[in-house]
Amino acid sequence: MSVPILLWWIGSHTTTFVPPMGEVLRKMPEFLSEEDIWPDVLLTVQRVAGSLMIALSLGFGAAYVMHKGGLWGRVVDRYVGLMLGIPSTIAALLSLYIFKRSELGVYFVVSIVTFPFVALTLLQGLRAADRRLDEMGDVYRLPTSQHARHISAPHLVPYTFAAIRNEYAHAWKVVVLAELFAVNSGMGARFARAFDRFRIDDAMLWLIIFMIILLATEYLLLLPSERRALRWRGSGKEALL
Amino acid sequence: MSRTAEYIRIVGLNVSYDGITPAVSNLDMQVAEGDFVAVLGPSGCGKSTLLHAISGVVLPQSGIIEIAGQPVGTGRGDQSVPIGYVFQEHRLLPWRTVAQNIAIVLRAAGISDEEIDLRIDRYLEMLHISEYRDTWPLRLSGGQRQRVSIARALAIQPAVVLMDEPFSTLDEVTARVMRQQLAELWQESGQTLVFVTHSIREALFLANRIFILTRGPASVFDVVDVPVARPRRYEDPQLTELEAQIVEHVMDEWGYGQPRAGDDDA
Repeated sequence: MSVPILLWWIGSHTTTFVPPMGEVLRKMPEFLSEEDIWPDVLLTVQRVAGSLMIALSLGFGAAYVMHKGGLWGRVVDRYVGLMLGIPSTIAALLSLYIFKRSELGVYFVVSIVTFPFVALTLLQGLRAADRRLDEMGDVYRLPTSQHARHISAPHLVPYTFAAIRNEYAHAWKVVVLAELFAVNSGMGARFARAFDRFRIDDAMLWLIIFMIILLATEYLLLLPSERRALRWRGSGKEALL
Repeated sequence: MSRTAEYIRIVGLNVSYDGITPAVSNLDMQVAEGDFVAVLGPSGCGKSTLLHAISGVVLPQSGIIEIAGQPVGTGRGDQSVPIGYVFQEHRLLPWRTVAQNIAIVLRAAGISDEEIDLRIDRYLEMLHISEYRDTWPLRLSGGQRQRVSIARALAIQPAVVLMDEPFSTLDEVTARVMRQQLAELWQESGQTLVFVTHSIREALFLANRIFILTRGPASVFDVVDVPVARPRRYEDPQLTELEAQIVEHVMDEWGYGQPRAGDDDA
């Protein structure tokens, strides 16, 4: 947090187009009280969450197929490798050509850009699975559903959190980019509009909102959920269940 | 009630992991109901593979394995013959508490929720670890984890309990305490127990009969009865004498005597 603030401070003291921090922050209450900003904020949050869910599902499916190997495993492996190399801007332009200015385009571009990273992280998890625990499950004749619930899924939890954490920030960047190119709504579009009209104060305020949402998600949602899900690793406090 | 002399019946067992290299070769073994037998062999001779085959997780190439007259089932969800298994390492799920680790296998064995709670309490108490009921396995010592593993194996009240060198990773003092407790538990429960070890003294201290395996691929080299009354002492001179006899007996077979035909001269 301190680095962007420092950069802002330096920018505002060395250039004429970066407004001083105090001036922008004074406008914050008025900005937040504008009714028309919230639908755009919610729309962007919804797009990020929705497309991240799609990316997680696609990523898990791809990781599973790659882990299984065979012809399909190799095909998906090549496809994932190819998708990793496509820049977000190209993907956003591609989505604009395919879906025009449709809402689907945003979901498409974010999912397609982020799912290969999710797939690689989850693939690492699948490859690191403890065969000895699988064997224990087989000896005690755990049905496949119980095996998945008690052995496979909990093993993948840390990898899923790593994938969500990495790709959440990535998804925000791509959504904002897609909103710039493909649709005329959401925080990205509002940010671009403020910039086009040389309303740098508004652009900075949107930037602050963007950072607050990212930090709030990390510290109020992801970290507490991760701590709870992985409490068995931690300080050794007794189980809550 | 009469006890079956051939409760575990293994005839002509051949097991190979890759289909080429044999791990178990033409092995015959019969274990009476309620007996405590040890399977003794040098490291890498195929002892663990034999237990895997008895438990049904490894399919034999040929041969018969029956428990209580039923062929051993394979595959997930199969509950034809419940088997308790204590591995060399505890193999507890680190993300489940002690009680949950036991409950999972009990549920898979078709035990009702009400009975599950009762059994967890009973077996944790039996192994002196009741206070750790809601503790994560990573918080326990090696000996405590292995106790939980034994409680898990016994709690399903299996037809047979298989133990694969369960105390080999523990320090000697803990291992001795655990052996003593296991001997007492077996006397209380009367379950059929197959205990794999490479320690002759451990086999003599615990078992009624010892199946001595060849150095690999595993087949039965000899069967020795242990005519020592219980409760036994680990330092019993009678065990020391038997140990010396077995060492002498297996020396050649396990490759420490005269070279055998076909052995590598290098």
